[in-house]
Amino acid sequence: MIEIDALRKNYRGVRGLNGFSLRMDRGDLVGLVGPNGAGKSTLIKILATLLPADSGSARVSGEDVAKTPAAVRSAVGYLPDVPGVYQDMRIGEFLEFFADAFRLKEPGRSAAVERALCLAGLADRRDDFVEHLSLGWKQRLHLAKTLLHGPRVLLLDEPATGLDPLARIALREQLRQLHAAGITILISSHILADLEDICTRIVFIADGKNVSEVQPAASVHGAMLHCEIEWEGSVEAAERFLAAIPGAAILEKKGNWRRIELPGGAPQASSLLRGLLDAGLTVLHFDARGPGLEERYRRTFGGPRP
Amino acid sequence: MNRFLAPFRVTNPMIRKELRQRLRERRAWLLPFLYLLVLSGTVAFCYYMVVQEGARRGSELQGADIGQAVFYTVIFTQLAVLLLMAPVFSAGAITIEKEQRTLAGLLTSLLSAPQIWWGKFVSALLYLLLLLSSALPLLALSFAFGGVEPVALLKATGALILVLSSICAVGLWCSATFRRSVHSTAAGYAIVLVFTIVTAVVFGILLSQWEQTRMGGRQDFPPVYVQAPLFLNPVYPFLSMLDDADLRKFAFPVSSNLLFAALGLLAAAFAMRRLQRSGEHL
Repeated sequence: MIEIDALRKNYRGVRGLNGFSLRMDRGDLVGLVGPNGAGKSTLIKILATLLPADSGSARVSGEDVAKTPAAVRSAVGYLPDVPGVYQDMRIGEFLEFFADAFRLKEPGRSAAVERALCLAGLADRRDDFVEHLSLGWKQRLHLAKTLLHGPRVLLLDEPATGLDPLARIALREQLRQLHAAGITILISSHILADLEDICTRIVFIADGKNVSEVQPAASVHGAMLHCEIEWEGSVEAAERFLAAIPGAAILEKKGNWRRIELPGGAPQASSLLRGLLDAGLTVLHFDARGPGLEERYRRTFGGPRP
Repeated sequence: MNRFLAPFRVTNPMIRKELRQRLRERRAWLLPFLYLLVLSGTVAFCYYMVVQEGARRGSELQGADIGQAVFYTVIFTQLAVLLLMAPVFSAGAITIEKEQRTLAGLLTSLLSAPQIWWGKFVSALLYLLLLLSSALPLLALSFAFGGVEPVALLKATGALILVLSSICAVGLWCSATFRRSVHSTAAGYAIVLVFTIVTAVVFGILLSQWEQTRMGGRQDFPPVYVQAPLFLNPVYPFLSMLDDADLRKFAFPVSSNLLFAALGLLAAAFAMRRLQRSGEHL
């Protein structure tokens, strides 16, 4: 659905993309993660036909973004970080304008506008002015506008910026539904927990290149296990026990709290907990999961541990 | 309709959107009122002056004299006021989309850059034409007094529309080039200033040089190369229409009109090009 090959882009001497490549199949929900200035927005803008690439190629839904931009725009819905809406238009007028801008013809046009109003939860506020909406509602309206023409691919650039927790949860839920409906989604975000929750794949990008590609923790089985343990009792006894586990490494320690990494999955986590209890320790907190996205991000980009 | 003309159809959704938004602004209703107030005041003042001048001379005042005075006063006042307004309506038209972050939505829709430009242009120009037509009752006064041919009204209106279209196109080019409305509006006014003041100053310099060198020469009006800077002056096409022997030497209104048309087309082409490439600044 999206094929990106060795894409390069410089802005007046500043490198935006430096040979970025990616392939996404139909129905993929890929998260794009990286530090500021890594090239995330540049990549999304090139795919949305807002920017021309200096070299390399990008195809969306089989269409080349440079050669057939109109065909790409028909297939793509682009949602920028700040929802650009016309404050002095009514909600219905706003959607109708974009329905016309995407050349939707009656009766499909009216149906698409009604659908978008329902999707945004604004069906009963059709005649309200956009300026009366909160940021979260504007984002919902913008997403509904983005979906008006029935795009097969969604390009979302920091869609959760500035949203309150409830609006973020609602956005996440909407994206999950769109993904379930078979829409291919590429989303860039700094909110790793959201990406971890909804993405099927996460691509790390730095200096305009894809550094690595990971699967969210939820879908990892049999890889490395990260455990947080807090107990009451002897530190020495706990240390002795942990040191005896083959392949285990202590990542962080603070008083009677340890974060350790060990090979394996859920069965190994159960054995570990049983071992701690058998060693006579009172376990206050036990959390066993694969290395989270935050941890992988830290490892990839070398940030400090908290 | 062929592919080239397709963006300029009246069904262009940008036109509807722009007009709707423009007429929702408070100034959309306030400006015609102020505009007519200024015009009415100027016409009343002109009438008073003409009548006073007639009384001072002691000659019988002809209706045609009043009619002509009213007509040219309305035309030149309209030109001056609309030249001041044209950059306001055009130079902020695209920058406002950048400022409220809506341009990306337009550029990623199926609207082409010429469609977006045309919507902005038509909206700005139509508003100016609304002001222009609101002054028709005042112009009708001059016909009531007599002394003005309908063809003069057509010529003056045509020249006004052409000049305003070009200024709007230049304003839109500024708007496509700059990121902030304040900068593009300032640039638009600077260009209008160059057209009106700088061209007149350059003409004055060339005229004085020519007058020094023509001592004893036969020609009593400046040649084309001396008048050329004035071709870009919005007032020039109207000078030749005045019934004044001194002003009749400005006899190239068509050249001026063609120059304004070329300027407008050039500005339109550059603005559309800039608009197509504005993704970098979003």
